[in-house]
Amino acid sequence: MQPLANVTPLKPPPRAGAIEVKNVGQIFKTSTQDVVALDSVSLEIKPGRFVVLVGPSGCGKSTLLMMMAGLRQQTTGTITINGAPIPKPDPDRVGVVFQEASLFPWLTAEENVEFPLALRGVAKAERRAKAQEALKLVGLDGFGKRHPHELSGGMKQRVSIARGLVQDPPVLLMDEPFAALDEQTRMTMGDELLRIWSATGKTVVFVTHSLTEAVYLADEVIVMSARPGRIVDHLQVPLPRPRTYEMLSGDAFGTLRDRIWRHIRKSA
Amino acid sequence: MSAKTLRHLIVIGLIALWEILPRTGLIPELFLPSLSSTLRAGWNEAPEYGHALAVTLYEVAISMAIACGGGILLGAIVGSLPRPRVLIMPMVSSLYAVPLVILYPVFTVWLGIGTESKIAFASIYGFLPTMLATAAGIQTIDPQLILAARSMGATMSQRLVRVIIPAAIPTVLSGLRVGGALVIVGVVVSEMLISSAGIGYLISRYRTILDSPHVFAGVLLVLFMAMAFNALIKWIERKAAIWQTGTRAGQSAADDVGSGAVQPAT
Repeated sequence: MQPLANVTPLKPPPRAGAIEVKNVGQIFKTSTQDVVALDSVSLEIKPGRFVVLVGPSGCGKSTLLMMMAGLRQQTTGTITINGAPIPKPDPDRVGVVFQEASLFPWLTAEENVEFPLALRGVAKAERRAKAQEALKLVGLDGFGKRHPHELSGGMKQRVSIARGLVQDPPVLLMDEPFAALDEQTRMTMGDELLRIWSATGKTVVFVTHSLTEAVYLADEVIVMSARPGRIVDHLQVPLPRPRTYEMLSGDAFGTLRDRIWRHIRKSA
Repeated sequence: MSAKTLRHLIVIGLIALWEILPRTGLIPELFLPSLSSTLRAGWNEAPEYGHALAVTLYEVAISMAIACGGGILLGAIVGSLPRPRVLIMPMVSSLYAVPLVILYPVFTVWLGIGTESKIAFASIYGFLPTMLATAAGIQTIDPQLILAARSMGATMSQRLVRVIIPAAIPTVLSGLRVGGALVIVGVVVSEMLISSAGIGYLISRYRTILDSPHVFAGVLLVLFMAMAFNALIKWIERKAAIWQTGTRAGQSAADDVGSGAVQPAT
């Protein structure tokens, strides 16, 4: 059926962002020598894609993510998000979720989610409503009044995700968000993240050490090598969605994971 | 029986012993006057004790303001800037180990035997731990929290007000707890050494004439003062820093350690 032209849709179309990284290099100067952390990295991420960065420790994947967040500036090259560079953090365009314990322990879950809105002087009632909505999205309806120490590790990460999403940014950057969780919680949170992602249609860039997690979550996996950090492979994950637990033991899954592992073993 | 009831029972038992032991003559009244005679002595000289308490409280209040205000301010500066930290911290830390009471006679030469010398001595005495704790509190803030605030677009002043200060509160409070207790110790000790007014002075004067009930009445007053201070700090901690230790078990453990730590050597 054709939609009527004069009816505005109830939900605005999802805001998704395009990310473009061109010839980005990062050099750390130490007293004795210059360390090349990233060497001429280029990549393009289309709106709405779920992209995972993997690589051995020290390959610069987190550094690259911090640059996309505007938390760090590259030595050379350009990074644009929706066509504009990102010289400093811009929560309207980019939400960031960190590894762990980045919730403010003296605030309740909903106050944590409201934090970025409070920084910009959004009125209390509107703040509260948006926080409620974000908490509901991550499955924490009714837990808003709890402090972080009263929440489990998985719940804390849900709050972090809600905080990253509360301003409805087109891009969500996640720096090893589930690294501190136990295996079971990690699997559940992966499924939860995919559900949230498909509900919001954001562009997600996700850094992880886990190859299984990478293949399970991603549309595309970008493999990086260390010293200097550069991209050694950029592969598509053709597995259908929704992803299921059974896929983990399938041939297609194993082949992809092996291919990534070979790259990492070579560079480590 | 819970630990709390047991603790209460022990306190009640000690109070009862305080009354019974001297009365039965097991301990001479000179060494330990009974609770009732101590209370009676205090009651009979109520105006004198009241005046002394006023003097002591005044000195404590001023010293507390100087020690805690100055300690927090300087601790915040030293804790957040690397250069003063390298210069000052080792000095302050080693100074902390010196029994500062040796300086008190010098203060009386400079400032006389009135309230000024007590305030000066107690202020310095309480200042050091407050400053050290504040500096440590600022230094040990999880950098991840500040990074997260930055990623949400927090400006420098927003980071200070909304992240750094609330994150430092628990450590600063534990510094206040020790610093404030040391201020009370400093005031009372300096009154006992050289002075003409205050509870410490009364205790010291009645001791020289071997009037034990009056000595113990003064001791009781100091005890109540310290307990009131401790209760005040606990109340502030509950209001401001519920999140500090995370769990209830951790909270009560911190209580035990905290109250043990307020008994410093003079």
